[in-house]
Amino acid sequence: MAIEVPVEQVLMVAAGLFLLGLLGVLVRRNIIFLLMSLEVMMNAAGLAFIAAGAKWGAPDGQIMFMLILALAAAEVAVALGLVLQISRRFDTLDVDAASELNG
Amino acid sequence: MLEYLWLVPALPLAGFFALFVTEGKLPDKIVAVIGAGSVGLAALVALGAGIEFVQSGGTSYAQSLWTWMAVGNFTPSITLYLDPLSLVMTGVITGVGFLIHLYATGYMWKDHEEPQGYSRFFAYMNLFVFAMLMLVLGDNLLVLFLGWEGVGLCSYLLIGFYHRDPENGYAARKAFVVTRVGDTLMAIGLFLLFRELGTLDIQTALDDAGQLDGGMATAIGLLLLGGAVGKSAQVPLQTWLPDAMAGPTPVSALIHAATMVTAGVYLIARMKGIYDLAPVAQFAVAIVGLVTLLISSFTALTQTDIKRILAYSTMSQIGYMFMALGVGAWSAGIFHLMTHAFFKALLFLASGSVILALHHEQDIFKMGGLWRKLPVPFWSMLIGSGALVALPFITSGFYSKDAILLTAWDHENAGRWFWAGGVLAAFMTALYTTRMMVVAFLGGTKTEPHDASRINMWGPLVILAVLSIAGGWLTFSVLDDLIGAISHIPHTHPAALATIVLPLLGIVLGWLVFSGRLNVATWVESSAGNAVRRFWQSGWAFDWIYDRLFVKPFLWVARVNKGDVVDLAFRITAAITRGFHHVGALTQTGRLRWYAANMAIGLIVVFLIVASV
Repeated sequence: MAIEVPVEQVLMVAAGLFLLGLLGVLVRRNIIFLLMSLEVMMNAAGLAFIAAGAKWGAPDGQIMFMLILALAAAEVAVALGLVLQISRRFDTLDVDAASELNG
Repeated sequence: MLEYLWLVPALPLAGFFALFVTEGKLPDKIVAVIGAGSVGLAALVALGAGIEFVQSGGTSYAQSLWTWMAVGNFTPSITLYLDPLSLVMTGVITGVGFLIHLYATGYMWKDHEEPQGYSRFFAYMNLFVFAMLMLVLGDNLLVLFLGWEGVGLCSYLLIGFYHRDPENGYAARKAFVVTRVGDTLMAIGLFLLFRELGTLDIQTALDDAGQLDGGMATAIGLLLLGGAVGKSAQVPLQTWLPDAMAGPTPVSALIHAATMVTAGVYLIARMKGIYDLAPVAQFAVAIVGLVTLLISSFTALTQTDIKRILAYSTMSQIGYMFMALGVGAWSAGIFHLMTHAFFKALLFLASGSVILALHHEQDIFKMGGLWRKLPVPFWSMLIGSGALVALPFITSGFYSKDAILLTAWDHENAGRWFWAGGVLAAFMTALYTTRMMVVAFLGGTKTEPHDASRINMWGPLVILAVLSIAGGWLTFSVLDDLIGAISHIPHTHPAALATIVLPLLGIVLGWLVFSGRLNVATWVESSAGNAVRRFWQSGWAFDWIYDRLFVKPFLWVARVNKGDVVDLAFRITAAITRGFHHVGALTQTGRLRWYAANMAIGLIVVFLIVASV
């Protein structure tokens, strides 16, 4: 038997996840953790889509989630390449080390 | 031949391009053939077209070539317009122009001051002839203005021809800037005319001129007079012409005596319909002429440079033309323009031969006794001087000057004053011309001449000498039909007699004084005499006044304003922008997390704004 979960609660979980992710992006200096936090933020957005799709019984929400998955995969592919370059060039994973492009 | 009219300006233009693109690499002999030949052919075509035009008996002939531009209702076309006035001008420009080009092939040959200048010289000269022809043949004031500025450019280039001497560059700039003052006035006049009548087509504008109210017609007339005054070196814009003598002598003959400086006379004669509506402007023309001819004939008496004497005499003769136009003697003015072109070109070319024979000596007091050693220049000068002085009955200058003075006598408005001024100037003309001839050609030899002129130099002198005499007889046969009969008071009238006698008196007096038979040293050497002489020699102190009034203040402002006040506005704008740039650059730390935090804060702010709405 399916348990009815009110959409407000799901959205609150999504917002919580999003804030956690954002906090991670802002406070962590290790670039790997930064990327992981980004993934959390994206999944928070995906969860919100799913909840909205379930509420209105529309497939758009699930399609959007699959798009987000594809986007996340692509993003990780590029981002890992960047991580590799940064670690080679600066010999560290501290993202603040790559701050040459300042005014 | 009329349908080949377009060839008249096209040939000199082709000559210019041929000389221009070859960049002086052609041998001098070919340059001479192109330079003089193109103008000669143009003269032949003009002669043929002129004969056919006179035989056809029409009053005008227009040849449309193409539409220059089409902007709404404003569609000026390149159309050549031939009527008696432009025919006379075309004849003078191509005919006298060809003779001067021919002379110049000899004068500029192996010119040691400017070894590579032969081709450049003829390129400029051909361009000048083209521009001058467009000026007189254009049926549209815009085309006229194109030619007007074109001749100004060529004048500038040729005055500064010997560009190694900075003095000549200064003279060229002076001529350019001073005439530009007049050109600006003229441009404003053209704008006004276009605003009032909606066309710059000369014939349409003159037909519609009746729509102008009196004040507007006067304003346009005075503004066009401003342009004419600048180009024709009349008071108060006359100061450039004496300095323009820095150019080679054929240039002085062609541009600064025979053709370009008479463009102002042509402009006023061409716009007769406007001046008929604006008697005040026409009266101003006469006043300008009278003042100029008096001032310049007194100045000529004190000059020592033979070319400056002739320059001041050119100014005074153009003053006669202006006076003629001003008192309504239109055809007499144009007639004097033609005869003046003959005899003044002759005088300049002959003086050029003298200058060349004396290795570029121009001071008449260092000449002397030349009449036996340089017979052709001497006799040419003598005939030219006779025409300039207006020797009665045998010279062309007499007929034209006589016609002007007698029409002025009849003028209802202050005509006697114009007549008296003209006769006084005629007396002064006789005096200074006699002085020039006596000092330069009689007496003892001071510099040994070295005559190297060939047939291409003395040939034009002979032809121009014949024209200077026979030019006056033309009026009784051909020109009467063309430019209108000239009213004649019988030669027994007292005014006519005075017009004849006073120049003769001037010659006698001049001969007595300057050959030393009448001693006037006590007068001339007195302090008052010296002061007057210096005042006249400086050209009535016009240069001094303009120097104090315009040149010095301008240089002072330029010195004070080295940093350029106007630039301040731009520099302040730049400083403000740079300040904002520095503030903005502070936010760009290069730290990824700082950017992310800012984005988050920005988003929250946006949400808050949206929520509060």
